[in-house]
Amino acid sequence: MATPLPAYVAQRRTDWDALQALLAKQRSGTLKLGELRTLDTLYRRASADLAHAQTFYAGTDVHRFLNQLCGQAYASIYQPPRERWPAVREFFRREFPATLRRERGFVGASAVLFILGILLGALVVLWEPRGAELLVPSGVRHYVAQGRMWTDDILSVAPPNSVASSIATNNLTVTIVTFALGLTGGLGTLFLLVNNGVHIGAISALCAREGMLGGLLDFIAAHGPVELSILVIAGGAGLMVGQALIDPGELPRGQALAVRGREAVKLVLGCAPFLALIGVVEGYVSPGDLFPTWLKAGLGLVLGALFWAYLLRAGRTDAEATGVPADSAS
Amino acid sequence: MHSAPTPHLDVATPERVALTLPIAGIGYRCLAWLVDASLLFFFWLVAYFAFTLLVSDVLGVFQALSGVGQTLMVVGVFATQWLYWTVSEVFFHGQTVGKRVLGIRVVRTDGSPVGVYESAVRNLCRAVDFLPMLYAAACVSMLLTRQHRRLGDLLAGTLLVREERIDLDKYTAAPAASVPLPQGTGARPLSPEDVELVLSFLSRAPGLAPEVRQRLGARLVERVGPDDAEARAAVLASAESTEAFLRARVQGER
Repeated sequence: MATPLPAYVAQRRTDWDALQALLAKQRSGTLKLGELRTLDTLYRRASADLAHAQTFYAGTDVHRFLNQLCGQAYASIYQPPRERWPAVREFFRREFPATLRRERGFVGASAVLFILGILLGALVVLWEPRGAELLVPSGVRHYVAQGRMWTDDILSVAPPNSVASSIATNNLTVTIVTFALGLTGGLGTLFLLVNNGVHIGAISALCAREGMLGGLLDFIAAHGPVELSILVIAGGAGLMVGQALIDPGELPRGQALAVRGREAVKLVLGCAPFLALIGVVEGYVSPGDLFPTWLKAGLGLVLGALFWAYLLRAGRTDAEATGVPADSAS
Repeated sequence: MHSAPTPHLDVATPERVALTLPIAGIGYRCLAWLVDASLLFFFWLVAYFAFTLLVSDVLGVFQALSGVGQTLMVVGVFATQWLYWTVSEVFFHGQTVGKRVLGIRVVRTDGSPVGVYESAVRNLCRAVDFLPMLYAAACVSMLLTRQHRRLGDLLAGTLLVREERIDLDKYTAAPAASVPLPQGTGARPLSPEDVELVLSFLSRAPGLAPEVRQRLGARLVERVGPDDAEARAAVLASAESTEAFLRARVQGER
């Protein structure tokens, strides 16, 4: 026969209060080593109490209280390892490039879609000049009609460091949205990739028609290779999510999504610092003619080559080189 | 007697105990978001005034700083838009300020705390959950899924659990000793349900209308009270004596 409820509470309550106090300490980070042992003991006792309450006092507030207490203690004790600086270094040294290489199929598909978009936009405008009215934003068309580069005005209205930071954050937002739209079954990502491609293609074709292709290339040479690569990688991440949603394979759809989402977000997080760096280049180097065109082009090629060399070579292990598939996230 | 089961998360701990954590529904989540959003709004407001001070430069001393100010503004807006949520969820045990106020926290679907990747996924997906406006996509998703998860939660494999404030004092509160009580009536031991019922009545009694208070008290006395009619009449004489009796009856169990 079970003890009556109030007596049971009165008898066990000191332990529970002590556990709560220890958990609060653990949360504020002032827990000492000796107390950790007490915490463990108290957690085990509370677990036993919970089992007791489940049997004899099911549905009462005591049961709910113990549930919650054990839940909090469980969360505190079974915490994931804290990500610290070594983990960040390891992420950029191995994990990010390795994930990208493992998911190269999706990045490749994303690149193909993007290039298709560019070709489509360019062909439409080259073929039928009036197509530009549809595909090129009116502000840009206005500048081109006057024979000026719209990018020349970027620097004259604001100091370059704020231009750089706003470009960087804007690019990050585009990258994030490209990834997150994978949740629409990949359709949103697909649309963004093709749409961005069409825009770029149409604008270049319009510039070529007006004889301003040199100016455009001068502007995009320095930052274009890396920035467009990152857009393509984010597109790949979005497509991964879309694929998990449509074709979850052997896992239940929810689990497949969670597993693939964890992998895909690595691509986005990995790209973020590079996007910030390339924002600096886009803000300081690309606009105006502070730097000669050959220097910009050279810088762009070097940065692009370095970026891809890093992605394709960093943290390669022997196993990966000989084609043994790395185990995907379990 | 049983109400409809609220959605909950079942966790089997390594200690071989089944935890059942209640899940936070759309109401809690909306309120938590409102708290967070207004916090960020005030941050933006302050930042905006600081920024205009720097740019308009009334005092003429910030000339060199205005560029830095603009940069900080852009970076700050970005941080509040994207970083705030993930950083606070990772460092404060799955809780942003709003979630802490409302007593809810983010956990993985197996009940363990979130890591960087899960938190990043669910917060980067806010962009999609916000579509087409005011979290419409998220609300539809929360209403349709069993565990009230928005799209970002589905992708990250996370959900929100609720923490209730449960007062254990009510079990051990001392009975008011002023009213004389009929003794020796607690022949039948009370079941936990009876105790729970009486205690929830006692905690709610001061807020009830007098006649409702009297009636409910009488029904409880009928359930747990003395069997002979005299004692019962004495107990039912006033609301105070009824409640004092009920409290003593519950406390008498120890």
